[in-house]
Amino acid sequence: MRLTFTVNGRQQEADDVWEGESLLYVLRERMGLPGSKNACEQGECGSCTVRLDGVPVCACLVAAGQVQDREVVTVEGLADYARQRAEGGCGTGACGTSLDDAKRWQSKPADGRTGEAGAFPQQLSAIQRAFIDAGAVQCGFCTPGLLVAADELLERNASPSDEDIREALSGNLCRCTGYEKILDAVRLAAARTEEAV
Amino acid sequence: MGATRIPGNITQGSTAKGGIGESTLRPDGTLKVTGEFAYSSDMWHEDMLWGFTLRSPHAHAEIKSIDTSEALAQAGVYAVLTYDDLPTDVKNYGLEIQDTPVLAHGRVRHHGEPVALVAADHPETARRAAAKIKVEYVQLPVVHDEQTALAEDAPLLHPGRDDHHAGHVPHPNVVHRQPIHRGDVAAARARADVIVSGEYVVGMQDQAFLGPESGLAVPAEDGGVDLYIATQWLHSDLRQIAPVLGLPPEKVRMTLSGVGGAFGGREDLSMQIHACLLALRTGKPVKIVYNRFESFFGHVHRHPAKLWYEHGATKDGKLTHMRCRIVLDGGAYASASPAVVGNASSLSVGPYVIDDVEIEAVALYTNNPPCGAMRGFGAVQACFAYEAQMDKLAAELGMDPVEFRRLNAMSQGTLLPTGQVVDSPAPVAELLRRIKAMPLPPERQWETAGESADVRALPGGLSNTTHGEGVVRGVGYAVGIKNVGFSEGFDDYSTARVRLEVVGGEPVAVVHTAMAEVGQGGVTVHAQIARTELGVTQVTIHPADTQVGSAGSTSASRQTYVTGGAVKNTCEAVREKVLELGRARFGSYHPAWATAELLLESGKVVTDGGEVLADLVEVLEGEAIDLELEWRHRPTEAFDLHTGQGNGHVQYSFAAHRAVVEVDTELGLVKVVELACAQDVGRALNPLSVVGQIQGGTTQGLGLAVMEEIVVSKEAKVRNPSFTDYLIPTILDTPTIPVDVLELADEHAPYGLRGIGEAPTLSSTPAVVSAIRAATGLALNRVPVRPEHLTGT
Amino acid sequence: MREFGYQRVFDVPGAVALLGTDPEARFLGGGTNLVDLMKAGVERPALLVDVTELPLGRIEATADGGLRIGATVTNSDLAADPQVRRHYPALAQAVLAGASGQLRNMATIGGNLLQRTRCGYFADLTKPCNKRVPGSGCPAIEGEHHNHAILGASEHCVAVHPSDMGVALTAFDAVVSYETADGPGELPLAEFYLPVGDTPHLETALPSGALITGITLPPNPVAAVSRYRKVRERASYAFAIGSIAAALDVRDGLVREVRLAFGAVASRPWRAREAERLLTGGPASAEAFAAAADAELAAAETLPHNAYKVTLMRNLVVAVLTELTEEATR
Repeated sequence: MRLTFTVNGRQQEADDVWEGESLLYVLRERMGLPGSKNACEQGECGSCTVRLDGVPVCACLVAAGQVQDREVVTVEGLADYARQRAEGGCGTGACGTSLDDAKRWQSKPADGRTGEAGAFPQQLSAIQRAFIDAGAVQCGFCTPGLLVAADELLERNASPSDEDIREALSGNLCRCTGYEKILDAVRLAAARTEEAV
Repeated sequence: MGATRIPGNITQGSTAKGGIGESTLRPDGTLKVTGEFAYSSDMWHEDMLWGFTLRSPHAHAEIKSIDTSEALAQAGVYAVLTYDDLPTDVKNYGLEIQDTPVLAHGRVRHHGEPVALVAADHPETARRAAAKIKVEYVQLPVVHDEQTALAEDAPLLHPGRDDHHAGHVPHPNVVHRQPIHRGDVAAARARADVIVSGEYVVGMQDQAFLGPESGLAVPAEDGGVDLYIATQWLHSDLRQIAPVLGLPPEKVRMTLSGVGGAFGGREDLSMQIHACLLALRTGKPVKIVYNRFESFFGHVHRHPAKLWYEHGATKDGKLTHMRCRIVLDGGAYASASPAVVGNASSLSVGPYVIDDVEIEAVALYTNNPPCGAMRGFGAVQACFAYEAQMDKLAAELGMDPVEFRRLNAMSQGTLLPTGQVVDSPAPVAELLRRIKAMPLPPERQWETAGESADVRALPGGLSNTTHGEGVVRGVGYAVGIKNVGFSEGFDDYSTARVRLEVVGGEPVAVVHTAMAEVGQGGVTVHAQIARTELGVTQVTIHPADTQVGSAGSTSASRQTYVTGGAVKNTCEAVREKVLELGRARFGSYHPAWATAELLLESGKVVTDGGEVLADLVEVLEGEAIDLELEWRHRPTEAFDLHTGQGNGHVQYSFAAHRAVVEVDTELGLVKVVELACAQDVGRALNPLSVVGQIQGGTTQGLGLAVMEEIVVSKEAKVRNPSFTDYLIPTILDTPTIPVDVLELADEHAPYGLRGIGEAPTLSSTPAVVSAIRAATGLALNRVPVRPEHLTGT
Repeated sequence: MREFGYQRVFDVPGAVALLGTDPEARFLGGGTNLVDLMKAGVERPALLVDVTELPLGRIEATADGGLRIGATVTNSDLAADPQVRRHYPALAQAVLAGASGQLRNMATIGGNLLQRTRCGYFADLTKPCNKRVPGSGCPAIEGEHHNHAILGASEHCVAVHPSDMGVALTAFDAVVSYETADGPGELPLAEFYLPVGDTPHLETALPSGALITGITLPPNPVAAVSRYRKVRERASYAFAIGSIAAALDVRDGLVREVRLAFGAVASRPWRAREAERLLTGGPASAEAFAAAADAELAAAETLPHNAYKVTLMRNLVVAVLTELTEEATR
């Protein structure tokens, strides 16, 4: 089947999609967006968390057909999404992307030849920056899903309590960090965002 | 070569900073938070095929026949391979003993063993084709525990085995046996005022790294293959892969791609050879990505263990003797079992002074899933048992459990049961003092909070389960000892290539090693070392590959020590070359070139007095210095097969934990309120990473204590190969983990550092269980502790 | 996974008609259970009829003071609804105790009712399972069953129903409404799930081809003082090993009305009617609660590894009813 939906503000089409493919597979293997991760592929780890019409879901359990005409934000689009939200765009996915923005949107190089930390700090969202600064990234496989979930938490609740953070991230498994530095990162992002306002 | 996604250099630019001892940020951090970091499952190549593995549904069966015709006939299928398609006479592989078939031949020995391979143009096509392969099995009786394995008429897992352990084991189903005898146990036992013994059981834990086994094999024009892979040790993989493919090692070019965690589970091969075989057969790039179900069958697990211990002590609290017997279930293939036996036996006494011991550790061959390396490696199982014994002894003697441990703690100069002297700081008593001195979290926080009480902080968490009634607090302590580096005479070395050159008017160091960055932050440390030793800011980390010499394994807490040591060593040699160049070019202008101690700092050659002699850019003058050198730690010796004596280890790592738990005894729910850790790290090269390692290791120990276990049935079948049924701690299960870092330098190690990754995984588990025992009064001799063990039925 | 078609539908008659065109068609809600089972090869539909765009996404008060919940309401929206939280707090708590935020955002109410068991043998195609392949056998009875049924099971199946939501709905006498080609129908939840007997593969009394359109909760003043509690092996994101939904009305130390349902003990949410009967009109004391629990659990038939559930459920009953008593008399 042909699939048409919006990914990170840009209309995307994929042809010859088999009905049994998941949104995760379509993103990773057909759209060149491997940021959403394939850790369990059964909705039990949160590594593939994306926003579907603004709502965090596990992309691995969304059948391809279910995303027809809907809006998806992945970790690759998280910085833009957060920036638009900060600029007073709605950032919730409900009001869509302006035509101009859609035209300007460009896919980032998928292989990322340079890892220039700090080269484009303005291009990272607060939560992405905080994950690096707080040491919340080790192997990094859980990171994309956690970032999408944590960003959504901060969108709803600008100064969450520790228990709020734990609850909001309880659908995302991490095997490396023991979560302590992930809590630090969310606290840090919240504090920085508050300071900036 | 068409369009691809493969790993690239990681560069930190001039805004990055951080030398040794500074909390430096990861060079791959930005790539990892933007989703651009190329993990092994993200590899992609135009026209690539997808590989899939058909696995045995039985734990032990004879294969009568395999019919692949229907699978091959399916549209989109490019190849179906079985044992008969293997290209050379080398059809097995293995870390130490080559007993693992690349594909099953006539017999499968464990549930999930690979039987056939498919390559197709879509992963689903490959799966469907695999389902059409007809395998005729005749089931055989299974061997699933010590009793069935060592029975006189037990089926032999590997009849006719001729490996180097075959000659000294008491039964062919014993992979390896290591006894250790020291002192006179009978005499010491007679001196004991109290004697306690116990039997302890440790369940089978899974590494549960999040990034599944995966990779991409690309056939090359020269008949070789390029393999992009997530592993812990590229060169060990290469040594096992190339002979099976019938290729010289230089034609199997391996590049490390992003690794989504490892924890020991990637020390053995998984899909490496399979992907190469399919790529070479089809002439097309082949990608294999396991799903979680396959991953549970795709790697070895932590050995489940049964441990029997006896300790004695005098009335004044001095340990008299220890006897123990440790039985590890190695499963169907050897993997790292022999080395795990060596660790379990040589560290079975724990960080204590006991002169008179009788120790025996064995690993069995059974039809259970193969077990091998996992963080803690044999020391985890022993620590759970000996720490339970310490609590029992203290209780028997009416002593405080921490004081009892301190009284018997080893220190620098202590003789281990193997006869080896501990010749670097061993601050066991100090770690225990520190962990006990840390302030306790307030009790019954939900009550003091009154109306605003947050039930999410109580046992049961989000489930709204416990509201404070029937909740009892318990506190428990534990301490452990882990060896660092490969032991028992293994030639443990690493290689580092460092290139220093001027790029764009700035000196840049390129660090190239084959070290597997699996999340531990080795790449960060390498950049720190290069900055400190070469006085540069710009460091480029070259992708790890087999174009440079071996780095050894990212395991045994060894990489910062050994590959860090190699990078330091090569940097020092590069620095000497720089100074030689400088002396040749500028020596005549300033006497200090000949007389002073010279350093490289901030892009300049300076004297130890701080005087600037030259810019690095001027010294190099367009020349690049490029060196590749091997580096080794002090040699070790094998343990004597009968007495266990020998200087087997290089270095030790010590951590202590205090667990504070609240237990709802009616519902069997445990909330770990706090899990504090004190650890000696020698020298913290990157304090931020050190704390992260300790907290991560601690949490894996917590998982083993209260939830993690691969359930294997009596038919040797895995019952819970999914994250629905194999539970690892979530953020709601994981407490605050305060960390107290002690830095007592080991003079034998680079910068005085100590390998740190594993020690926190040891003592975490027994500390948590000790705290639950304190809260409930139950014996709890088995981990994981489940709710049903606590509700009294 | 086999080949299958996918179609989205926008009106109820169209949905029912489309399903009728293919005996192997299935309705698809959020997909959080069905898609997973399709990946495992347990479910093999020929056509998925996506019902999430049907106009069934509302929660409305009924004329008599109850609530009507549309079938496509997500679990997240149900748990967040102010009317649910005020009048049926145990229902909101039950939903929040299930799965993870990401899954609750996708999962629908209709799909939740039709969740399949999490018994490991059901999902393991290499093993027999009477629920998956009728007549093939039940290896759980001799095998791994530490989270299997203690009530209402049979020699043919000892699997438990995994839903948390269903336990609260059972306590509150919810009624399932559905639509078929022949017109609408209703089933009280007590009759919705079939007893196991020798037909564990037949799980509900829904007529073939029926589309669940919603759930109606009758007015239920006692439900305003209610609790859902769940015991599981980790603090979130795990299925229950025992759970309870309870509502209690206590005056002058006497139980006027009580609702009690158990989860993770049977093939369906288990309404504890015997316990309710014993408690009603009697004293609201820990002893009475324990006696009522014992009476309900007297029928329990345990296996070697799940006997702990009897104690667990008894302790849960006492703990929750004691707490509700304190709340009612405060």
